[in-house]
Amino acid sequence: MESKLSGSATNLVDQLVYPGDVVLDLSSMTNQTIKLGGGLRQDSDVISVMKAGRLRFSKPNKYWVESSQKRYVPHAEDSVLGIVVDSRSDNFLVDIKGPAIAFLPVLAFEGGTRRNIPKFEVGALLYVRVVKANPGMNPELSCTDASGKAGEFGALKEGYMFECSTGLSRMLLSSPTCPVLDTLGKKLSFEIAVGLNGRVWVNASSPSTTIIVANALINSEPLSGVQQKIMAEKLLQRVQ
Amino acid sequence: MEYVSPEGLRLDGRRPMEMRQIRAEIGSVSKADGSAIFEMGNTKVIAAVYGPREVQNRSQQISDRALVRCEYSMANFSTGDRMRKPKGDRRSTEISLVIRQTMEACILTHLMPRSQIDIYVQVLQADGGTRSACINAATLALADAGIPMRDLVTSCSAGYLNSTPLLDLNYVEDSAGGPDVTVGILPKLDKVTLLQMDSKLPIDILENVMQLATEGCKAIANYIREILLENTKQLEYRRGS
Amino acid sequence: MEQRLANCVQLTVNEKQFIENALLSELRVDGRGPLEYRKLSIKFGKDDGSAEVQLGETRVMSFVSAQLVQPYKDRPNEGTLSIFTEFSPMADPSFEPGRPGESAVELGRIIDRGLRESRAIDTESLCILSAKLVWAIRIDIHILDNAGNLVDAANIAALASLLTFRRPECSLGGEDGQQVVVHPPEVREPLPLILHHLPVAVTFGFFSNENLVVLDPTYHEEAVMTGRMTATLNANGDVCAIQKPGEQGIFQHIIMHCLKLAHVKAGDITAKIKDAVEKHNNERALQKIKRRSSSVSVDVCGTTARLGGKQNQSGGGKDNSHLDQLKPKDEANFMECDATSSGQVQINKKDEGSKNFTGGPSSWYGKKDPYSECVNSDLLKAPMDSEC
Repeated sequence: MESKLSGSATNLVDQLVYPGDVVLDLSSMTNQTIKLGGGLRQDSDVISVMKAGRLRFSKPNKYWVESSQKRYVPHAEDSVLGIVVDSRSDNFLVDIKGPAIAFLPVLAFEGGTRRNIPKFEVGALLYVRVVKANPGMNPELSCTDASGKAGEFGALKEGYMFECSTGLSRMLLSSPTCPVLDTLGKKLSFEIAVGLNGRVWVNASSPSTTIIVANALINSEPLSGVQQKIMAEKLLQRVQ
Repeated sequence: MEYVSPEGLRLDGRRPMEMRQIRAEIGSVSKADGSAIFEMGNTKVIAAVYGPREVQNRSQQISDRALVRCEYSMANFSTGDRMRKPKGDRRSTEISLVIRQTMEACILTHLMPRSQIDIYVQVLQADGGTRSACINAATLALADAGIPMRDLVTSCSAGYLNSTPLLDLNYVEDSAGGPDVTVGILPKLDKVTLLQMDSKLPIDILENVMQLATEGCKAIANYIREILLENTKQLEYRRGS
Repeated sequence: MEQRLANCVQLTVNEKQFIENALLSELRVDGRGPLEYRKLSIKFGKDDGSAEVQLGETRVMSFVSAQLVQPYKDRPNEGTLSIFTEFSPMADPSFEPGRPGESAVELGRIIDRGLRESRAIDTESLCILSAKLVWAIRIDIHILDNAGNLVDAANIAALASLLTFRRPECSLGGEDGQQVVVHPPEVREPLPLILHHLPVAVTFGFFSNENLVVLDPTYHEEAVMTGRMTATLNANGDVCAIQKPGEQGIFQHIIMHCLKLAHVKAGDITAKIKDAVEKHNNERALQKIKRRSSSVSVDVCGTTARLGGKQNQSGGGKDNSHLDQLKPKDEANFMECDATSSGQVQINKKDEGSKNFTGGPSSWYGKKDPYSECVNSDLLKAPMDSEC
């Protein structure tokens, strides 16, 4: 029975799992450490699923459930797009589509001191990194990469932002480059910033390009790689 | 029913293009920051303005402009049959919204961020055209309160009965069920901010009726300007300069 | 304070700027031109007088019902019309549960004015006994999803549901001729309402740049625009209502231009509504033949017999044989199986129903039914067959 269960765990990898499914039986696994990601929880001595999605496994011992949702659950080291909703003396309050408003300390900028605090109006769009995400407290953001450099982080000027599911943003960030971006990129020139929280910012020299890219990306969500490519090519033909 | 006699006179003896007697008075509520009474014939409306002041309900505060609130009510004794209407019925909710958005169009709200302006209008006597009278009273009260404005909004109504466009309908004409067009304009900018109409009217006739109402608005605007000038002169006189 | 910040939908400065900039070059974010309408689809429910309108992603449902009441004293010969709106927080997080808010009241008033003041519905034909009994028509409008321009969608939904509504026929009887007899729909065909014309609401959005005008604004555009005008017109070019509640001032010639545009659009939309209604009526006529036979069997036999009648009618030979199989079993088992199989029969019925009517203005009841969508009825059958 036990061997069967642990056997089924490996079977379940890359399969669809549903809340309540038992993925791993810990009692059959001795002297093994495993790491659990989102969507899994330990229920006494079994690991069961919390979210519907596809079970993923990465060697040597990481398990998580990949799913697409509209809300975002903050995770440290994710790059996200946030909207400034208010500013306080030591923090900017930023909406990152998570369960709580995130704090962006006014000093969390490259070379940030009390003297050169940046000014953001309410509604400004920022590309930021999640630094701390602990349950029970507001997530903390930063506008620098791990080494303290500004990198690409900071305010995004102009362009257009649209919201999508977290699954779509993960697809857009996947490598190799997803087919729709690849196809569009060959013909059009545009800038894009994808936040893992399901927000995508697109900017191009002309509004029409921006709209084409944005709509192509939104439409590509339910399509397979080949379909994406066909859709994007058709779209480009129509434009030209 | 005949609303315009063959001699071209209306039920109350006016000509089709004639407005009722208008009268205005500034500063009639001593507690308010600005107040006015506005009469159009037998329609009488009182308006009071409080503000700009601190926002009472902090959650409603707007960070880049002032919050404008408006409450419209009708006194129980304002109509012939004394009806006790529940507060906040659909009609008064809608008129409150319309007055608020019309006044917002002329108040320079971005100059007073994080503050609140309250406009209270009450109909003391209703004889048609209360909506217009309320807007005119509110404009005067706002001017009296010294609130920065783009322009003076004025409003007037017009109708179309017996194939004649009629300016400034009274209650009898209003309840005839014909078209009723209420227009609110920014007279100096010559722009229409408020436009409401009901019943049925072909487009080209509507244009004429709207034009007539606009003329009415301009006449009221001139009168309001006179009243304000008079008021300012009086203040100057009292100060003794 | 923080909760409030989190709950309201934010629009970024970037989006605001982009929407206006794109409009300067006559482009809209969803790929439409400035004066283009979104895709409109009208569906009808199984009951008479229910319609669901989808305008882009905005979804509005409308339901018409009628009741016999005493008329108002000042209008003894006229039926009444009332409109109720329900803005559920399901459709938009900014809608609050409970009392209707300002926007809900305004929406109701715009539709009310368009329909009532222009006398679109022949209210006199709704009178049964002068000063004693008239029909009170009630329109309930529910917002299911708010993606902008609720007014137009709600107005179209109201019209579509009014056009398909049928009220039971009434006649006067008794010795004094004052007795009112309401004929059930099986006996006499219910009557449609008399609509003189269709007032269609068309909404325009204005922006801080005076030259920009859009038709049928989306949710995002509504957040950016500084003025709004709803013109309600019928296909003949009569203006039935206009609502421009304050906000940004615009020149009179622009208003007249908008009205002319609205006239054209109103014609298009009227044609679409009429088309959908006609389709639905044909569908309904076909359906009625079936309904008649089933209703007869209700009257003659009991409830269990109805089951049989329905099966025969739907031609479910499989189900019949299923029941036959069950018969020889002992009583208790039979009861149990019968209960389950009747459930199954219903499911099959629904399934068939949705299959039959998917082509035209099919019923959303059937579509929403979780059983017919997700659970294959064959799956249900299999274990039962093995059991027997």
